[in-house]
Amino acid sequence: MSGTVDIEFLEKVRSQIGALVTEDARKLPSLRYCDVRMQVKEEKGAAAENGVEKMSAEDYTFDFGVRVIAGAKASAPGYYGRLLGNADVDNIAQVVMEGIKEAHQRAVANARMKVRARGRFGSLGDALYDTQLAPVSIVEDSVPATYEQDPREVSLEETVRMAVDSCRAAQGAGDQVVYSATSASTFLLRELFCSSEGSIIDQTFAQTEGFVIAICNSEYGTMEIYDFTGHQRGWEILTRGYDNGTITLPNFEVFCRNLAADGVEVANAPPLKAPEKECVVVTDPHFNTLLVHEVVGHPSELDRALKYETSYAGRSWFFRDMQDNQMGKQVASPLVTAYSDPTMEGFGSFKYDHDGTPARRAYHIRSGTFEEFLNNRQTAAILGVPPNGSARATEANLIPLIRMTNTVFEAGQQDPQSIIGEVEEGYYVSGHRVPSVAESRENFRITAVKVYEIKNGQLGQLYRDGGITSDSRDYFMSIDAVGSDFKMYPIPNCGKGQPMQAKRMSNGGPTMRGVAKLTGRG
Amino acid sequence: MSILPLSRLKALAQDALAYLGTQPDISEAEVFVSANTNLTLRLNYTSRIPSNGVEEPKSVESYGLGLRVAFNSPEGVKTGFGSEPTDLNLEGVRRALDKARMGAVLDPDYVSLPHPTGRKPTLRRYHDPAIMRISNGKMLEVGWETVEKALEVFTSSEELLNAASSPQGVKDIGLILGGDVVMLQERIAIASTHMPKVQTDESTMLMAFVTGMLEDEHAKGTGWHVSSYLADYSGQPGRDAARSAIATMGGQRAGSGAYRVVLGPQAFTEILEWVLMPSLQLDVVYAGASTFMGKVGQRVASEELYLYDDGSMPGLAASRAITDEGVPTGRTDLIRDGVLVGFLSNYYEQQRMLRDPKGGEKLGVDPASIADAIAGRNGFRTGRGGGRNFDAMPSITPTNLVIEGKTPRTPDDVLRQVGDGIYIGRIWYTYPVNGIAAGDFSGTIVGDSYFIKDGRIAAPIKPNTLRMNENIHNVLNNILAVGSERTRTVRWSSDQVTWAPEVAVDDFHLDEIAGYMEDVY
Repeated sequence: MSGTVDIEFLEKVRSQIGALVTEDARKLPSLRYCDVRMQVKEEKGAAAENGVEKMSAEDYTFDFGVRVIAGAKASAPGYYGRLLGNADVDNIAQVVMEGIKEAHQRAVANARMKVRARGRFGSLGDALYDTQLAPVSIVEDSVPATYEQDPREVSLEETVRMAVDSCRAAQGAGDQVVYSATSASTFLLRELFCSSEGSIIDQTFAQTEGFVIAICNSEYGTMEIYDFTGHQRGWEILTRGYDNGTITLPNFEVFCRNLAADGVEVANAPPLKAPEKECVVVTDPHFNTLLVHEVVGHPSELDRALKYETSYAGRSWFFRDMQDNQMGKQVASPLVTAYSDPTMEGFGSFKYDHDGTPARRAYHIRSGTFEEFLNNRQTAAILGVPPNGSARATEANLIPLIRMTNTVFEAGQQDPQSIIGEVEEGYYVSGHRVPSVAESRENFRITAVKVYEIKNGQLGQLYRDGGITSDSRDYFMSIDAVGSDFKMYPIPNCGKGQPMQAKRMSNGGPTMRGVAKLTGRG
Repeated sequence: MSILPLSRLKALAQDALAYLGTQPDISEAEVFVSANTNLTLRLNYTSRIPSNGVEEPKSVESYGLGLRVAFNSPEGVKTGFGSEPTDLNLEGVRRALDKARMGAVLDPDYVSLPHPTGRKPTLRRYHDPAIMRISNGKMLEVGWETVEKALEVFTSSEELLNAASSPQGVKDIGLILGGDVVMLQERIAIASTHMPKVQTDESTMLMAFVTGMLEDEHAKGTGWHVSSYLADYSGQPGRDAARSAIATMGGQRAGSGAYRVVLGPQAFTEILEWVLMPSLQLDVVYAGASTFMGKVGQRVASEELYLYDDGSMPGLAASRAITDEGVPTGRTDLIRDGVLVGFLSNYYEQQRMLRDPKGGEKLGVDPASIADAIAGRNGFRTGRGGGRNFDAMPSITPTNLVIEGKTPRTPDDVLRQVGDGIYIGRIWYTYPVNGIAAGDFSGTIVGDSYFIKDGRIAAPIKPNTLRMNENIHNVLNNILAVGSERTRTVRWSSDQVTWAPEVAVDDFHLDEIAGYMEDVY
């Protein structure tokens, strides 16, 4: 079996790993559950800076991770993760079994100490429960990748050309572009999931993405602007672009040129002097992409709601405890519906999550009422609800966390032009830039790429360095128009967990209108 | 599983460099071999929601080699990087070399791989064998003693008992203990054409960051710890977090306005690392995105402020003997007495800036005149939440960031400078909302914060009720006092350490937020 690791390797070891988990692991003392995730990625890409080549690389990554739930008088989790290489190919079963044993030792020790703590702390110890997973169906399935141009067939030289030409396109937007950089990459990722319950799930994904940054100078100061493009498809995403009606991606060269041209235009606009009072704001789909991400998606993650992220990524204002929460309560205008759906096409699409749970749509807010959190098997069991397939890790050696998938505001009925046209005085907030969101997501400040004044239904003066800030519920309750122009965009770098995992997903929505306070400089 | 021995990494670095020397098209080469383990215990205790206490006892292990190679080609010198995991023999070296050769590009900014600096590393045998050899059982003990220290405080607190009316009622207040303890095991060996003698380094680190909450009391507190040694740790961040949470019970709202504030060590660290430090990296200056373009030698902050990075200081947790480029670590002054004097760099960026025709304009002085102030003392191969990774190119990474004041100030002196104002102990999501160059930032106050009355700590501030809307230049120039006592401070998913004092700042803008939450819970 020696040789270079490629995605076909997982086909060869699928049965072997499955048997390790369902047979050998189950012989370990007091083991109640085990799963092994293994993945191989074949990737290539290049980067350019100021129109010249900077690097290119073609490589593989190969790793695995183990979860064990074990214990005699109590059950508790233990984990293990490791990067692998060619040297591990011939003894992969031994390497994985050693990892299972490490995770098992940790789970058993964890369970023993949990029992000790329960005994020491009276009623406070009662909260230390026996780890359980909500039931899911046992699945054996293979899911192929979708692409036209196989990432493996793209030459490294082609990725360099793409990065350099696109960087030059950005640089060509004008003399005010003082710096530009791009990267272009494409990969095939194959993931194997085997559980002691008998599931064996083999999923392959194609992914292609590009990044561009432009630094533009003007009399008003430096403007840095950057964005990502990409989709779960092959190299054609960068050469031709993509359009399915809701996902509209120009080819990468055009994407870079447009971004830098926007940067120059915005750099030359005066900074927004934000009015003291709240005002009518119309937000475009790209701005609402970040808004739904930060202010709906994140607080809809059940691990946050159950306080797992108290120290870092934060809690959720939707949930205080099992009795006192916002489930079934109005948190937004009846015009607002938001959901996550990994079965839709997007950057966060999949058939099964990393718990082996089938993916499905979860409505967070339906007609203004909070309905369902994103969950995994463990948190679903705590809340007593069915798992909805939202456990995902960025790499197999890391632990799956509850993550957004394709999380969006649902389209409305209104023509977006009429949403602007009805505004006598207000602002049009276009394109997302940088967020700062309160700990339980109860308040936000998000800056935009462009802010236009609206007067008598017409767009007027363009401003830079503007954005909006509001208390979350107040803003969502103020929404009085939702457009029919639904769009989705890739978000490639959502950070969560310790160590930090930067996850890919899609977010999006239509044009919307509400009331908020504008922000400017300072 | 135990981390690979240093001798094996060293032997491979030596053999690999010898092999690369036999390749006719190679003009320069560097071999970096490393083994890393990140041991993390994520903690989650909740008194009225079922929880595990120690939620994620886990590790990520990695080892392998990375090559930086310069190839002679008909078009000129091409540079490439290739790495190979787990294959610590010549076959692995050949694979990594093939990747470096295949990916090599003509980078016009490339000058050379690092050359010897003439200095010698000052640190020797500074790692902790106890962290290097820690067992699974001991690892779990570290996590549980942190949880139990917090539970000991919660069960014995008179204040909590009074608030709850009965021991049973304490549970119903909604106690939370979250956070993590991270232990890093790092071993490296490095050799290159210009520094052919194999250098090795071993480093360890223990970082803990823990949050305690009493949800119904709207109280939140923090405890943290950073050290190179396991023996220094006894779970005290759990106790500190619980005590600090109890101390902030009964928090009150403050109105919007401009305040005199004291930024506590965590708050100042967060602003420093998220908002200021990107502008103090030479690659950001090269790109024209620093907020300090053309400002070297100019006053950019109150003369009270002295900021430097020192990766070589004995006893500081983020110190290392050598960088991941094989040069000795050292001290880089950044802002001295309020004047901008240097930038953090790696070797590549320093060499590029020295030859940049616009370098003088970007820095404000001739780059050659400050060559040592932009020397490559911070080239580290970071990633995976810490570690020295074989599959990463050296980037610019701070080590120990140290803040000193010009005038000695006790904590009481710092409070007295404020008189009436706000002590900001912990902030969150502090981002440069209009880009790095603009310097504007926003974030929210999430705990450990108090009113200051007559130069003394007074009533606690209710968490999540104030948003900061400020600019880094205002903060730096409105510094009233820098405390003399420094606390080692860490932030999320980073292994850099800031030795931060309390800093008093005038005219700091805060906006009251989330009034509706008073009615929600």
